[in-house]
Amino acid sequence: MKSRLGLAVVVCAGLALAGQVLAPLVAEPWRQRREREPALRLEPGVAAAGQGVTLALLGGFRALVADAAWIQMYARWERRDLAGTEAFARLVTTVDPRPVYFWLNAARILAYDFPAWRIEAAGGYDAVPAAAQRAVNEAQAAAALELLGAARRRHPDSVDLWVEEANIHLNRRGDPLGAAVAYREAWARPRAPYYVARLRAEVLRRAGRRAEALAWLREIHPALPAGDPGAGAELVLQRIRELEAELGVPAGEAYRPTR
Amino acid sequence: MGAPFSFLRLGLVAQNTLREAVRQRLLHLFVGLALALVLGARGLRDFNFGAPELKFIADCGFGAMTLFGSALTIAATAQLFFSEIENRTALTLLAKPVWRAEFLLGKLVGVALLTALFCALLTGLLAAVLWVREGELMALDPEGFRGGRAVSYAMVALGGWLQWLRLVVLAAFTLLVASFARTQVFAVVCGFGVLVICHLQHLAQEAYTRAGSGVGVALGGLVGGMFPNFQVLSLADSLAAADLPALGTWVRLTAYGLGWALVAGLLAVLSFRRREI
Amino acid sequence: MAPALETRGLVKDFPVGLRGVKLRAVDHLDLTVPAGMIYGLLGPNGSGKSTTIKALLGLVAPSAGECRIFGQPSGEVGARREVGYLPEAPYFYRHLTGRELVGFYGRMCGLGRRELAGRVETVVAQVGMTAAADRAVETYSKGMLQRIGLAQALVHDPRLLILDEPTAGVDPVGSAAMADLIRSLRDAGKTVLLTSHLLGQMEALCDRVAILDRGRLVAEGTVAELAGGAGRHCLEVDRLDEPQLAELRAWLAARGRGLHGVTAAGRGLDAVFLERVGRGQVEGREP
Repeated sequence: MKSRLGLAVVVCAGLALAGQVLAPLVAEPWRQRREREPALRLEPGVAAAGQGVTLALLGGFRALVADAAWIQMYARWERRDLAGTEAFARLVTTVDPRPVYFWLNAARILAYDFPAWRIEAAGGYDAVPAAAQRAVNEAQAAAALELLGAARRRHPDSVDLWVEEANIHLNRRGDPLGAAVAYREAWARPRAPYYVARLRAEVLRRAGRRAEALAWLREIHPALPAGDPGAGAELVLQRIRELEAELGVPAGEAYRPTR
Repeated sequence: MGAPFSFLRLGLVAQNTLREAVRQRLLHLFVGLALALVLGARGLRDFNFGAPELKFIADCGFGAMTLFGSALTIAATAQLFFSEIENRTALTLLAKPVWRAEFLLGKLVGVALLTALFCALLTGLLAAVLWVREGELMALDPEGFRGGRAVSYAMVALGGWLQWLRLVVLAAFTLLVASFARTQVFAVVCGFGVLVICHLQHLAQEAYTRAGSGVGVALGGLVGGMFPNFQVLSLADSLAAADLPALGTWVRLTAYGLGWALVAGLLAVLSFRRREI
Repeated sequence: MAPALETRGLVKDFPVGLRGVKLRAVDHLDLTVPAGMIYGLLGPNGSGKSTTIKALLGLVAPSAGECRIFGQPSGEVGARREVGYLPEAPYFYRHLTGRELVGFYGRMCGLGRRELAGRVETVVAQVGMTAAADRAVETYSKGMLQRIGLAQALVHDPRLLILDEPTAGVDPVGSAAMADLIRSLRDAGKTVLLTSHLLGQMEALCDRVAILDRGRLVAEGTVAELAGGAGRHCLEVDRLDEPQLAELRAWLAARGRGLHGVTAAGRGLDAVFLERVGRGQVEGREP
């Protein structure tokens, strides 16, 4: 018994010593890896234990497992099972947070489908008071925005996530200013499409912030390539002129394109 | 008249172990399943829900290597060791002027060669599947591949190499357990336990630094410090050439993996010295 | 010259259960096996024979006492260079051929490639396995396994052979051939330590025997020393009729001697078997 105990002590001590000696070899690669993958960090708000454990155990198979779970989520979506749909949607983004697709569609389900289901379950749009409907919309929109926030920690350069946030502010919360902030963030991301910049101006205009809209369009117009129909440089210039006219900007202060 | 430690004898044991291993049906089963999954990944691409297809295929390939490779490593290590004890071929061999260390480390090297063959085969197949599919995608969408091939095959090779390092470490730990275990089943179960612990080791390390209770600190420190971190021995989510680690990083990761395998192997030798055959 | 084998106060205890209870398998065994003879180790099951052999080979660590092989502590790797061991009911790597198996063990004993080829052919021929040497071990019968087992024990030309039940499960032809081989090894100067439950064979083969019981040495000496002392002679004479038997009995009685038994002795079943089946079957033609 003594010799077995002694052996156990020696083995444990040997492993512990090895851990101390070998860990510095990979300290830097590990630090870089953790920065790139939030799931490897045990921090609040990342569903970290779940993600970390799942990532750890499933490895490359998490894509397959997440896909299977997504299909199961839709089975519950068809039955309008709120709890089951949300649970599976969050499970999928936990298991495999890499595809933006999962985050986007999960947020859309939270923001658009859930309010409709809840209101219909409570008696329908005619029966539920408007204030209650707004409260439901607001609550679900908040849940969707929280999910998109979590998604951006994983995909900080994603344009689509900011565009989706803007849509939710606009369509579900009736908050064009919130949408404008989101469109600006989207425009700041690499390879952002030109339309998000134009949309920011449009929502500012609708919110009555015409001066801000004008300043924004003047800011972005120089960067729009001429001859590219997608960039819409001519359209933006036209909008600038319209806003200048609406705001009574003197001719001397009118925007002059640099080319 | 002493007999010095002989790497030749170690190599002979390793060679014999490998020869015995490749005849086993278990190996054929795992290799077959892994190959099927790698090839089948192309058929599953319709379910990738927008994830880049090539990354999806690579995920399946490395997933197959992890899953079947780990099962193969644990089962083969335990079986190849215990068959020597139970069939008493170890009796005949250790009655020769052979160090117990030569025998045990020879077993480990034999399993390492087996897993190297496994990883090389699957990495090669995965690379071939990716190459063919990437070529098809380039023909379908030339615009999307303006910069040429997107997959770095050096990264694929690195992925296979890291996979092998993990399996060697896993084999060494399984052998460490087998060196004092009474039954093969116990060694297999502990081997799978080590696999899980090593994958979660990084969480234990963090928990250790955050835990409030003494028990939490002790447990987290124990698990975090005594087991290797398998997460560091895997590729991040990229196959792009730009993300290829520097040579120095390759060397450090290799030293880390082989270092752990050596430590576990030597501790297994220490344990096996006391074992009565 | 140092004895081939020596144990001094050898004790081996095995733990039983978790409460510190021990089973004593070998109990203060003092044994000396001189070089150059066939030495038998006898005893019932559980008497400590196998444990003693394992302690001699360094496969188990003695709880107390010491073992030496030609003067070297038996736990040292170098001491095993002098020993060739054939375990009871041997099991070998099934995927190897007989020749490969002997070659593998030869290399494990440190034989170089040049020397190995010659030694393998020599020992394979010595045990009568040349014809079957290129077949896989998994195709071998029990007798063939014993013979190839003896070949691997001999490949590095050890001074001491430890053979644990070498004829267990082997037919009379094979058993006789094995006995002949063991004698030839002794005559070539090797020491053979033999265990067997076949007392008749041990009596015919062994120069000295030791008898173990419950881990202790209960008797040791030559067969004649241990089995003789009854003070009688056995005579073999041509067949006698009844009057002749009576005359013989009377003659002995007149000299104060008794006639204690008269048996009609044939050639014996062994002799008939060997004659009919033939020693020619030994050379690799066993099924």
